[in-house]
Formats: sequence, C-alpha cells, structure tokens
Amino acid sequence: MLFAGLPFAQLAAIFAVAGAAVVAFYILKLRRRTIAIPFSPLWQRILKDKDATSLFSKLKRLLSLLLQLALLALLVIALGDPRAAATLMKGRNLVVLIDASASMQATDVAPNRLGVAKEEVKAMIRGLGGADRMLIAQMDAMITPLGPMSGDTSELDRSLDQLAPTEARADFPRALRFATDTLRGVENPEIVVVSDGDLGEATDAAGPVHLGDTKLSFVKVGKGRRNVGITQFAVRRYPLDKSRYEVMLEITNTGDQPEDVELKLLGDGMPVDLTKYRLKPGERLPRFYPNLSGASSKLEAELALLDGSHDDLPADDHAYALLPERRRAKVLVVTSGNTYLEAALLLDEYLEVTQVSPVAYVQKYAPKLATGAAGFDTVIFDGATPAEMPRANTIYLDPRGPGSPVKVEAEIAQPGFDHIERRHPIVRFTALDDVNIARGHKLVPEVGDKVVGASQDGPILIAGTRAGHKFVALGFDVRDSDLPLRVAWPLFLLDSINWFTDDDATYLSSFRTGEVWRVPVEASATQATLKSPGGLSSIVPVHEGRAVYLGERSGFYELSVADAQGGSGATAPDAPNPAGAASLTTGFAANLLDVTESTIAPADQLVVDGKTAGPLEGFHVGVRRELWIYLLVAAAILTAIEWATYHRRITV
Amino acid sequence: MGLLDRLNPLSRRPAEIKASAGDDLFDDEFQRKLDYLAIVSRKVFAGRMRAERRTKKSGSGIEFADHRDYQPGDDFRYLDWNVYQRFERLLLRLYEEEEDLSIYLVIDASGSMAFGDGAKLKYAKKVCAALAYVGLANLDRVSIVSTSDRVMERMPQTRGKARIFKVFRFLRELEPAGVTDLEGALKGFVAQNKRRGLAVLISDLYDPAGFERGINVLRYNKFDPFVVHVTDANEGRPNLQGDVLLYDCETGDEREVTVTAKILDRFAQVHKEYLQEIERFCATRQVAYIGADVTVPFDELILRVFRRGGFLR
Repeated sequence: MLFAGLPFAQLAAIFAVAGAAVVAFYILKLRRRTIAIPFSPLWQRILKDKDATSLFSKLKRLLSLLLQLALLALLVIALGDPRAAATLMKGRNLVVLIDASASMQATDVAPNRLGVAKEEVKAMIRGLGGADRMLIAQMDAMITPLGPMSGDTSELDRSLDQLAPTEARADFPRALRFATDTLRGVENPEIVVVSDGDLGEATDAAGPVHLGDTKLSFVKVGKGRRNVGITQFAVRRYPLDKSRYEVMLEITNTGDQPEDVELKLLGDGMPVDLTKYRLKPGERLPRFYPNLSGASSKLEAELALLDGSHDDLPADDHAYALLPERRRAKVLVVTSGNTYLEAALLLDEYLEVTQVSPVAYVQKYAPKLATGAAGFDTVIFDGATPAEMPRANTIYLDPRGPGSPVKVEAEIAQPGFDHIERRHPIVRFTALDDVNIARGHKLVPEVGDKVVGASQDGPILIAGTRAGHKFVALGFDVRDSDLPLRVAWPLFLLDSINWFTDDDATYLSSFRTGEVWRVPVEASATQATLKSPGGLSSIVPVHEGRAVYLGERSGFYELSVADAQGGSGATAPDAPNPAGAASLTTGFAANLLDVTESTIAPADQLVVDGKTAGPLEGFHVGVRRELWIYLLVAAAILTAIEWATYHRRITV
Repeated sequence: MGLLDRLNPLSRRPAEIKASAGDDLFDDEFQRKLDYLAIVSRKVFAGRMRAERRTKKSGSGIEFADHRDYQPGDDFRYLDWNVYQRFERLLLRLYEEEEDLSIYLVIDASGSMAFGDGAKLKYAKKVCAALAYVGLANLDRVSIVSTSDRVMERMPQTRGKARIFKVFRFLRELEPAGVTDLEGALKGFVAQNKRRGLAVLISDLYDPAGFERGINVLRYNKFDPFVVHVTDANEGRPNLQGDVLLYDCETGDEREVTVTAKILDRFAQVHKEYLQEIERFCATRQVAYIGADVTVPFDELILRVFRRGGFLR
C-alpha cells in the first residue's frame, strides 16, 4: 500500500493531533451538565438497577471513543490517497472508438448493438485505473470526439451519453487516424474499438494506417446476422414522357437463411406496387419497375418479412427517392416567323414558349437577358443573331454576323451531316444522316466547342459554352432543308433544351448517407436551411451553388434558401420569412443503400496493420483504484452507526 | 459556561437554593384574604367550634367527660353522689377543661424547600401565616418554629390578631438552609415545648432518613400532628434530558444519569408513589394530612384545611 496523496509521516502527525483533539473533546463530552435535584433518594430508587450495568456502560463509552478514532483514521488515510502498489503503474491513455454506423442499430442484442456498446464502455469506465485517461469518440461517417481525454468517470459518463446512432457507414481509417494522432507521444497508448466488426481495410487516401506501439483492443458487439435490406433504389422520369417514370431497386438477403419478404412501393404514401419474393442466403435481387405513372413525387420502398417477424436491422428496410420535378422550361423564340419551329416546340407540353420579333427582342428582352434577369431557360434565335450573346442557354439557327458564338464563314452548297457525334445529348435518338440541305454556312468552332455535326466542307452543328451558358449553333436555315419534315427536328430541339436544363442527365433521385452531399440551390445564396427527416432544422453552407452537408440519416430532406429577388441567404430555421423574402424550397432524399452495412454478421476479430486486435483487459469493474472513495464511504457508514447508536442510547 | 468553568468542579453547581424574597409575600391583598379566612372559619364552624377549644385534660369545665376513683386529697365537690348512692363507690366526676389551645406551626426551612425558584418555601410561608392568623383570631396560642435538621428559629407563643405582624416579620426573616432531618428537629421541638397542642408540620417531607420518624416523634409525645405536605408538580416531571450529573441540593450527593423519556416516566412514577406513601402513612396513623400543591391558591388550601377538620375543633 502506497500513499499517492500526503506522505505517511504527515498523515501520522495529523492523526496524532486530531486524535488528541478527539480524545480531549470526548473527555469534555463526558463532563456532564450538573443539575440540582431536591431529593436524591427518589432517583436512587430508579437508578439502582443501572448500577449493575455500569461496567458495561463504561465499555460502551469506550466503544464510542474507539468508533470516533476509527472514523478519524479513515478520514486521515483517505487524505493520503492510498493505492495498492500494483495499481501505481503508469496510467494508460485510451481512445475508445465506438462504432455508431447503421449496422450498430441491429436489434439482435437488447436493446441494440449501440446500447450494448454503451454498456461495455460504461463498464470500462468503472474499471478505469486511477491514473488511466480515456477519450471516447463516435465513429461513423466522420469521427467525433464526445469529450476531452479524462480520468474523471463522471465526465466520461457525460461524454458517453452524447453517443447517437447514425445511418451511415463507419469511416474506420479516418477514426484510426484520429486515434493514432491523439495518442502520439503519450505513454501506454491503447485504442479500443467497440464495434460489430466489419469495418473494412484500415487504408485511406494517405495509405494504410500504422498503429506503431499503440495497443489495439477489440470489443465485439452483436451475435445475429438475420437481415434483408434494400441495397439499391433509384428512380427517374422518362426524358420524352415526364409523366412516367421508372424505378430500379435491389434487395439483398445478408443472412444465412432463406427469407420470404414483401416489398411495397409507395408513392406519396399510397401503394404503387406490392410484390413478394423469396431470397436465398446471400442473394442480391435487382428489380426494375418500368412505365410507372402518377403524380407522386415522393417514392418509398418498404421491406417486411412475410412471417410477420422482424429482421435484426430495421434501418435498411426503408428506402426513399424523390422524383425530379416536372418543371416547365421557359423558352424565348426570337424569329420573324417560322412555322416549323413553332410546331416543334408545341410537341412538348412542358415548354413555356414566348415568341418575339427581332426588333421587340432588342427593345424589350435584350437588356434583361444581358443581366441574366429575364428568367428564360433557353433562347432560340431563328435567323436573327443578336449583337451580344444573352446570359442564357441559346440555340442559334443559321447564325450570322459578329454576335454569333462561332465564326460563320462562307456559304456551302448542299451540305450534309457527313459526320455526327452520336453520343452528344443534343442528337440523341435522332437520324440526321440523310437530311437534305439546300445551302448552309460553315461554322468555325472555338477551343472547347464540340462539333456535333459536320459536312465534308466543314462543321454545320456546334455545341459549346460561352460565359457559363451553353449554346447550340446550326449552320443553316431549317426551311432550306427537309429537316423540319423529319422526326429528328423536334427531337433535336427538345434534346438541346434538355441538355441545357440538365434534365435527367445529372439528377440524383437520392443521396447516400455518410457522404458529403452537394445539393444544387440558388447560385446567389450563401447558406441554406436544411430540414432533416426528424424535423430538425440546421443551417448549411452553400458553395458554388450547392449546399454542402454530410448527411447521416435516411429519409426526405427539405432545403430552403431565400429567393434571390426577395433577399439573400437562407431563412433562420425557426424564424418566419421576413417580408418580401420568399423562400425557395427543394426536396431530396437520402438512403443508406450499403450492402456492407446491411451485412450485420459480427466479425470475430479485427485486423489492422497486420496485427490482430486483442481482447479487452486491465479493466476491473467495480474496483476503483482510488481507495479514498471507499474510505469516505466507510467513514460515512461509521458516522451513521454512531448517530444511530447514540440516539438509541446504545453507546451512552 | 466556559471551558474553565466546566473543568472546575467547584463552579459546577448553580445556585439552586435562592434566598426567599419575603417582602411581597404578605402584602395588603394577602392580609385581606387572611381576614376573609378568619371570618369564614368563624362562620362555618360557629356553634360547635367556638374560639375556645376543648382539651381532654379533665378539670373544672362544665361538660362531663369521665369518672375516676376517688383518691385521698381530691376535691369533694367533684364526687358523684348519685353514683355513690347507686353503687356505693366513690367516683370523681371529671370535666373537660376549657382552655386556649396551643398551635405550633412547624415550618420546614431546609434547602429542598427553596429548590428551584423557592416556590415551596414561599407557599409554606403563606400557609403558615394564614393558619397563624386564623389561630390568633381564635384566641389560640400560636407559636412558629422553623426547622431543618434541628430547630432553627422559634417565635414564642403569642395570641391575638394584632400579633400577626410579628408572624409576618418572623416569616420574612426566615432563610432556607441545611438538610432535612425531621426526627432530630422535632425531637428538639418537643423538648422545648412541654405544653402539648396542635403541631402543624408544613414540609415537603424530603427527609433522607424517612418522613415517618419525624411525624412519629410528634405522635409519641402527645402532640396532635397535622401534616401540610407542600408539593411541586414540576419536581415529579423535571425538565431533564441527556447526560447529566444530578446532585442533591441538600446533601450534595451526586449521581450520573443519562436521562431518557423512559427514565423520566419511571421517576414520575416513583415520585407519585412517594406522595401516596406519605398520604397512606398519615391515613393509617390517623394523622391529619393535606397535600398542598404550590399551584393551588393558598386561600383555597386553607379552606380545604377547614373542611378537612383537625385544625379547628
């Protein structure tokens, strides 16, 4: 036994002084109050029985004194902070990485794996040595230290209380990197990983994580593996029929038993499809739902076991997707009159066409378009080329003059589409090879422009970008060809407009949890308000026209930014919009969709840097090495005994 | 009490025995009550208990008492000739002699009577003064004796209401002192007073040697004892708690006691039994007894004495 607090000599001196004081006060305590009585023989009558027990009374008084001295001894020893010699080894520095990924929500152990992990760490805290220090960190898509490195059990308990589940994959290399960085240069470093196992290779962009001398311990959580989950889910509208859409999903049985499941597809909460499947162990079953129709915008897939029971991981039994909005594209047509053009644009009901003459354009629309404030998605110049390219996506039919985005050279007689860049979106599904053209002009592309169609004499169809806006230039008047009589004509126009508006091309029906989401928003906004599936709102930054957020929960999100015309910035999460500051809200969905997380079979061992993690050791639950706590408790108990015996007249 | 005071055994005992302040005892109100009591004593007992009291001593009274055989030298005038005629025996007629009664008021002035705030001694003085006034008003010879373990002070026999102020003065000057020894004190008393009479013992009867002996001294010496037992109910239920050192205010005997509610109950029981023991003793010995609780107004107690009988015959 050694004293980590005051040295023994000092303790002995304190005990001597305090003990003398106790004895002195005890003697003084025995000096009773003197009370006069008129006639003592009456008292002698009742006290003669007591005389027989006077020796016992003296012994009891002595016991009381000894009790007080014992109390004093306990307190003095507590001041010395006694420690067992074996426990006075150098304290360990521990980083506990608690896996909070989606698979830790598996309910194969009660209440769930994360709850069991919490209890395991609590037991570790109770078993900490007096000189041990611990840092608890939550490991999910990122690594979050829940508190400072401390040896204070109450502080560690408070840290542990902040642990929260996520629906994302754990970034184990990042967590290990954090732990090794934290433990660099400290004595007795140890990393304890509390997880259900399958954390993948401990390798990131910087290479494999090296543990060095750091000890690695692994606490396995979980025992079951029965799970069927949705591992893929996507939806998109048909490019040419936006009233219809198709869904692709994949369900996987990660368990070791065949499972009968029921897959339900919901559109805005209403059932769209219900199918029953039987999945063999480990089977991945992709399903495709073509030609779905309806006004639904929110799609949700639900998976349930047919026997009414639940698998061990409910987090992957739901998947969410948001159908792209069927927005009307605003098209400004600058023409002196072109029946073929007007007719082609009538084919798409989601086009909002405004037709103006070249003169009216110059007077009315050109100033607005020069600032980008006109709000048109596409401007089509038919035989009329403006002096300056508007700040909008533009289609030039037979451009002329210096305002053309590409240089227009000499006329070509009877050009044809001898060369076609067929993979370009604007010529998708078109057949232009046999188009007959009476005359046209050779177009000269600039660097970065794409020649989509060319005759032997030169390019006649070019696509490119100017000042951030796309353009398509067609080097002939369509009325000088038979192109308007072909199906390719409206397809070419609509493909071009779709290319401009990015419809279907880059749309993501859902984001994946655990990744950094970049959601397109109003370009001028600097921040946005994100409302998560739980109803919580938070402010997220907007960078280069996209709100950036690391999402860890699946479900439907709403992102709001203040309208550029009404004000800048996002509205406060809980404040009403200021007057005139209209809010633009867009929605999106997020899903786990990770077969690795859906595979919940716990791993028996953890290997990092070629070393297998050892079992947890050195934690003696229930035995704090700080004995002064127990001494204080004993002193308190002795005080209670003294109090009780005194008031029950046992020791007096 | 300071630490040094606690360590000094000589300073431990508080001054429990206080000198009685007699100045306010016999004020005008008290004297008016005495007059009232004197009137009441005459009114209630008029006709059968006049001022003159009868003794059993045979003599020249008018009321026949008994016969006895003639002895040579007896006065022939008292021979009962009718008896001689019928029985031929010479018997002398005896008559109860009418004389003024001697009333001795024996007041216990020991330390225990002044215990606490001295309520018992004050009360005893008032009762003593009241009885003395009644006696004086009835033309009896009244004498007052204070005792502890001996006869301490003595007011010679006197008679007539006007001497009440002498009584007051005597009682005022009476100071409590000494231990109680009724036997020793009353032996001295009977030795000093050859004339027998009514001996009213006003005491708390806290006699370590036993109260019986003192009363028996009076009985055995032909006095008519009348016990006025002064009691204080607070003494039966003292306000004590915890560890205390009890000491007898008269003898100085010490006793360490841890007072609990249980012990207090037992003490109250013992105290009650002690009072009952005294009352039972007096009853079995035909000694007039009256309990005088200090909380009872003294004039009411005097009326009880009258009703009880034994004081006025």
